[in-house]
Amino acid sequence: MGRGWRPILIGGAVAVATYALAQAQIFAPSVPTGLAAAGDFYAGETVFQRECAGCHGDGGKGGGVGPALFETGLDATEVAAAVQQGRGVMPAGIVSGQEQADVVAYVVAVSSPSE
Amino acid sequence: MLVADVSENYTDLVTTVFSSTIAAKAWLATAAVLLALVQVTTAARIYGKLSFLTERGRAVARVHRWSGRIAFLCTLPVFFHCVTILGFQTPDTRVAIHSLVGTFVYGVFVAKVLIVRDHSLPRWALPTAGLTLASVLVVLWVTSSLWYFTTVRFGF
Repeated sequence: MGRGWRPILIGGAVAVATYALAQAQIFAPSVPTGLAAAGDFYAGETVFQRECAGCHGDGGKGGGVGPALFETGLDATEVAAAVQQGRGVMPAGIVSGQEQADVVAYVVAVSSPSE
Repeated sequence: MLVADVSENYTDLVTTVFSSTIAAKAWLATAAVLLALVQVTTAARIYGKLSFLTERGRAVARVHRWSGRIAFLCTLPVFFHCVTILGFQTPDTRVAIHSLVGTFVYGVFVAKVLIVRDHSLPRWALPTAGLTLASVLVVLWVTSSLWYFTTVRFGF
């Protein structure tokens, strides 16, 4: 086999290693328990930025017409109820299905008080 | 440090500058793609194309090398987040294409760097590798940053 194959073989090995690393997800956050477990934090972050950050601020830190959610200690049941039924000026059902589960996981995570 | 703390610390660090980890990736990937376009342009000039650019000597070579280095640095946080936290996912076509093409990006990058250093290879090998790498980056940008800017939000 000629030297010309060397970059392709090594590049292929790097691609395989990348795939293996991606499958391992070695730094993925631990899976939450309860209602928030049905959602994905990072998918929820995207949903939150699209649908919720306008009122609750980036990362739920406030600044809009909605209250700050950051480090307020909300639980998943409370967040899911607010999303489904609305609260104050917040309309009901802004998101639903998997997006709701994802955004609940995200809000529960950002509202957890830091240790 | 616990493994679980790494993603939390990464998120905390990134959100001191950007509104979210996704926004950080969108902007860093945008910087990498813009620098990749600089790479393609300067490489074309080095190969005698784009004659409307008068400069062709060491300055172009220097811009080519440094734009490549900075582009690579821009991809590292994106790689860290995509590969070690999110992993390979296929929930829809966009994410599946992004995951699949993203698997190859550093493989193509390594192959391109090796080809640069191997002068025994045919003359077409390096531009082919370079254009392949730039194409991979553009596909990754379209399936992530462009999607984010057009469907989620355009902002930091």
